[in-house]
Amino acid sequence: MRTTARIGGGGGFWGDQPLAPVTLLEQGNLDYLTIDYLSEVTMSIMHKQLARDAEAGWATDLADWLGAGGIDLLHSMDVKLITNAGGANPRACASMVLSAAAEIGWNDCVVAIVIGDDIGGRLSGVSATGAKLEHMFDSSKGSLLDHAEKVVSANAYLGAGPIARALERGADIVITGRVADASLIVGSMLHHQGWAKNAEAEGLPLCGPICEWHNGDNTLDIIAGWTIAGHLIECGAQVTGGNSSDWLKIDNLATLGYPIAEIEADGRCVITKPLASGGAITTRTIAEQLLYEIGDPSSYITPDCTIDLRDISLEQIAQNQVLVQGAIGIIPPETLKISATHRDGWMAAAELAVPGPNPRVKAERLDQILKQRLKHCRGLEIHCEFLGDGALLPPSLRVGLPPPSEIIMRWVATSYDKKELAEFARSIAPLVLTGPAGVCGYGARARPRELLRFFPTSIDRVLIEPQVHVRMLHSWRHELELRMPWLEEHIFDRLEDMVAAHGVKSRLAEKVLKRLEKVKEGGIIHD
Amino acid sequence: MTKTTVRLGDIVHGRSGDKGDMVNIALICHDKEWLPLLESAITPKLLSKWFKGWSEGPFEVFSVPGIGAVNCLIHKVLQGGGTVSKRLDSQGKALGQALLDVQIAIDCKIAKRVGFIA
Repeated sequence: MRTTARIGGGGGFWGDQPLAPVTLLEQGNLDYLTIDYLSEVTMSIMHKQLARDAEAGWATDLADWLGAGGIDLLHSMDVKLITNAGGANPRACASMVLSAAAEIGWNDCVVAIVIGDDIGGRLSGVSATGAKLEHMFDSSKGSLLDHAEKVVSANAYLGAGPIARALERGADIVITGRVADASLIVGSMLHHQGWAKNAEAEGLPLCGPICEWHNGDNTLDIIAGWTIAGHLIECGAQVTGGNSSDWLKIDNLATLGYPIAEIEADGRCVITKPLASGGAITTRTIAEQLLYEIGDPSSYITPDCTIDLRDISLEQIAQNQVLVQGAIGIIPPETLKISATHRDGWMAAAELAVPGPNPRVKAERLDQILKQRLKHCRGLEIHCEFLGDGALLPPSLRVGLPPPSEIIMRWVATSYDKKELAEFARSIAPLVLTGPAGVCGYGARARPRELLRFFPTSIDRVLIEPQVHVRMLHSWRHELELRMPWLEEHIFDRLEDMVAAHGVKSRLAEKVLKRLEKVKEGGIIHD
Repeated sequence: MTKTTVRLGDIVHGRSGDKGDMVNIALICHDKEWLPLLESAITPKLLSKWFKGWSEGPFEVFSVPGIGAVNCLIHKVLQGGGTVSKRLDSQGKALGQALLDVQIAIDCKIAKRVGFIA
């Protein structure tokens, strides 16, 4: 095995180019292929799908490219695949992967799932421990528990530990639920550099702290460097020229390459892409991605390590090769981030185009007409933008823009009453004949969709129980787990109190109380 | 202090992204040496002026000297966050580019010292 690991980033979101991972496998000479499919919103969509269909709720793109030759390439080239495609349903996703492997005769393919991130179904248990689950950025938003009835998804961001341990137990393919994006890469490195082997030998907890898995110097800085490498490649083509300020100057964007990180044991990395691919990797494309979705650059928090990235340096060492070094690692917080969503009313959108002359004045008047007609809908909030006339800039920066030759009016309405949105949707078409001469662009009647409000919060690490399962024949073997005996004890204590108070003696209660006895005796329970 | 006006995009390139109800806008100097000029021009006060009507703050500006950049954080700017925002750019992704065409005032003395103007 090379000391330097070549890790590919085969996608940036669910819905990205479906065959990009296949091309990257063909051209990349990879040791590991990682793919991030999840975003803040994706998890809630997957949970909604899972609620309708027990086999759904994962990133179906994975099935598409595995079926298009991807599974053969993983097998024949011996590349490990690590992806959070499992989303809300890692088990169903992994079953699909096993079927794909079986189809090409790869019968000893070892697939592992990493779970334990999903706390949506056990919020009452979590709250019983005293966890507050307050809004991460805005205390006026209260607690996630205030919305418990409306929660669609609540997932903790797991770190790299369980992934590394799954690889150490021989997994060829690791399917996770919600793990931090960069942890897919850090997990691969923990395995590649033998840290996970140390952890196995010393019987350390599977979810870290991973800085205790290393017998050497600069441990936190190394983890920080690996995390930055992961951060740089987890958005796929956004680091190879896509979305770049230099976009107009970059060639061959149709065959834009997906990124590869050549990651060293000491935390440095070179970001590159396949020789045959289009796009560009420059210190400029890397710099833009380095700060993408970053808050305070002196403390970028991930489950594996907090990073000070202020002194990271970038050096163009060859065409399409940038050396990245200088990340400083800090011990991560005792809490894990939770990404949750809850139902919060309905939304619908509609558009009409207004031609010149004077499109601004006409658009303003048309907007007033619509709002006047819908005045009786008290719960309706209507927002209107003039696309083509500075809508992407905040209002103060639109002053002095040249007048547009035409405007697309875009209305978006929200309400807690779905009927009001139906009325809004019905009111758009009549504007075509009421409106200014030449108004056009009416599409189908807008359909209200349910709004999901994102609710970030955090939870004490010790309340999260990551598990690694490996498939054996027709069942899943419970391979590794981290149970929190005192947590169960706490919950069962409450149950005991309830039994005492109500005198209930159900079979379930008896079973639970028996479990409690076991917990009190020896800690870990095996199902 | 003599001031002059330049297009922001003549000093920096950029990218923006979201986190919940917050947007980060990374502005990266074309030449790392220009960072003091950028730091003197981009302030929380300027951001509050730019984003009036969209956000009441807080506004933060962090320096990233390693790559010659500042990272601007605009809080509570997405009408509650990307999933509920009614704007077309519900995640603020266009801001990092749209701002490049904005004119900003710079301090000539600093601009000369860092080599931005002769």
